[in-house]
Amino acid sequence: MSVLRSPDPPIQPAVLLENVVKQFYVYSHRTTSLREWFIRAVRRRPIHIRRAEFCLKGFNLRVERGESVALIGPNGCGKSTVLRLIAGIYVPTTGTATTAGRVAAVIELGAGFNSDLTGADNIEFYATVMGLSRKELARRVDQIVEFAGFRDFMEMPVKYYSSGMQARLAFSVAVNVEPDILLMDEVLAVGDRSFQEKCLERLQSFQARGGTMVVVSHDLDLVRKLCSRAVWLQDGMTRLDGKVDEVLEAYRSSTG
Amino acid sequence: MNENIDTGGLSAGSAGRPVVSRSSDRGRASIRELWAFRNLLRSLVVRDLKIKYQGSMIGIAWTLLNPLLTVAILVTVFSHVIRISVDHYWAFLLSGFFVWNFIQQNVFHATSVLQNHAALNRSVYFPREVLILGAMLTKFVEFLMEFAIVLILLAVFYYQTVPSSLILLPWIVLVLLMMTVGLMFPLAVMAVYFRDVQQAVPIAMMSLFYLSPIFYPVEMIPEAARPFYYLNPLVGLMRLFHVVVFQGAWPTMTLLASVSAVAFAVSLTGYLIFSRYKDVCVEIA
Repeated sequence: MSVLRSPDPPIQPAVLLENVVKQFYVYSHRTTSLREWFIRAVRRRPIHIRRAEFCLKGFNLRVERGESVALIGPNGCGKSTVLRLIAGIYVPTTGTATTAGRVAAVIELGAGFNSDLTGADNIEFYATVMGLSRKELARRVDQIVEFAGFRDFMEMPVKYYSSGMQARLAFSVAVNVEPDILLMDEVLAVGDRSFQEKCLERLQSFQARGGTMVVVSHDLDLVRKLCSRAVWLQDGMTRLDGKVDEVLEAYRSSTG
Repeated sequence: MNENIDTGGLSAGSAGRPVVSRSSDRGRASIRELWAFRNLLRSLVVRDLKIKYQGSMIGIAWTLLNPLLTVAILVTVFSHVIRISVDHYWAFLLSGFFVWNFIQQNVFHATSVLQNHAALNRSVYFPREVLILGAMLTKFVEFLMEFAIVLILLAVFYYQTVPSSLILLPWIVLVLLMMTVGLMFPLAVMAVYFRDVQQAVPIAMMSLFYLSPIFYPVEMIPEAARPFYYLNPLVGLMRLFHVVVFQGAWPTMTLLASVSAVAFAVSLTGYLIFSRYKDVCVEIA
């Protein structure tokens, strides 16, 4: 990162969600056969019987570079949807989602793995999905293997791995692609204690280098360790946004 | 998805730090974005080939053996049982069969590719077009090997001199790719919406096998029926391969231009349909 620039450009936030509305449909009947679709079209019946459910209702979030923000709230309040919107996996129904920099999202650990391929092959594929070029990959593959911590198993198909090993491998790839923005959805619960500590350490050094993080977690102690700011979501809107201690305190007392 | 990748104005803070903005006015993945993900495309192809061939003893030979056996059966049946009067019938069949095989395999694959990658799609962003293109390129690698064998066989046992019309091959192969991807794009999203697409496609493809000139030449279709026959866009394409590879002649300008135009239109329409529905497919697949 070059700091020798003048005049200073306006500061672009790492993540900016503006008036984001995300709507999903809840189907009481979804037509999934062509025959039925045809019959309904001829009879002028609605193809689907569904109602719109708003997951986010005009959500705003601005995360500065180098900031670490936790999203907390009850199940189904839209936390994971926010992460997917930032990552670009979902497109907002209205509003805009803007990111500056390489984004790595760890939403379902190991979702991109192919169980028939070896650990090494999966590292290559997963890292490429996250946008690493071949050159970058060649430079980092060692680091990824080292971090996962089981070099001897790299030539073995992933289907013979334990679920913990798969999660470790996925996590190693994600933190080692050196993103500018790291999105994590409840993924630190993986691995044994020593691996968790290693992850925590790695995340802290990522923060120290100026990385931006958005974390979804129900582990409030972890949230306190990693983040300076927390956003409490409820029913698709921000209920409280502020210093991590204050928000956690309010959240705790409301949930009892 | 509307992607305004602005690497110019904002790279002020650090080089190569793209600003990406997404909003509901969906658009299409730009060529530039697809180019940025070319590594992923390569990885997908390598991965699919690896999965397919590891653990099978004779590996890639399977790919060639299977259609070659089919060709052998078809040649036997149609030159000894149901006699189709084409000289060098085997050469005629070879010149078109793998083209058909390529289209068919890709169309089948298209109906499951988005479902197979549902978990990946829900956890990482990348232009979803890459999945379709990757599926096609995997088969294309096999097609190239098959077609190379066909050309060698023709050169050794059939051609007196290698015809000059073969110069057109790169062009008509490109037309084939456009047509194929144009069929794959809409089928991939339709298969997510309607579960019976996976059942309907094999029946449709079987019908198309008989309704396209694959094991018989176009000339066997009654003159009166030909205008309707040509409504099947694969007819012109197959004919093009027969003219160029089997007859070793230059196709008429009308045939070449019309097939190319149709293939272009099919791929463009298919792509527009795909980009309209791809984001919803990620949510519901």
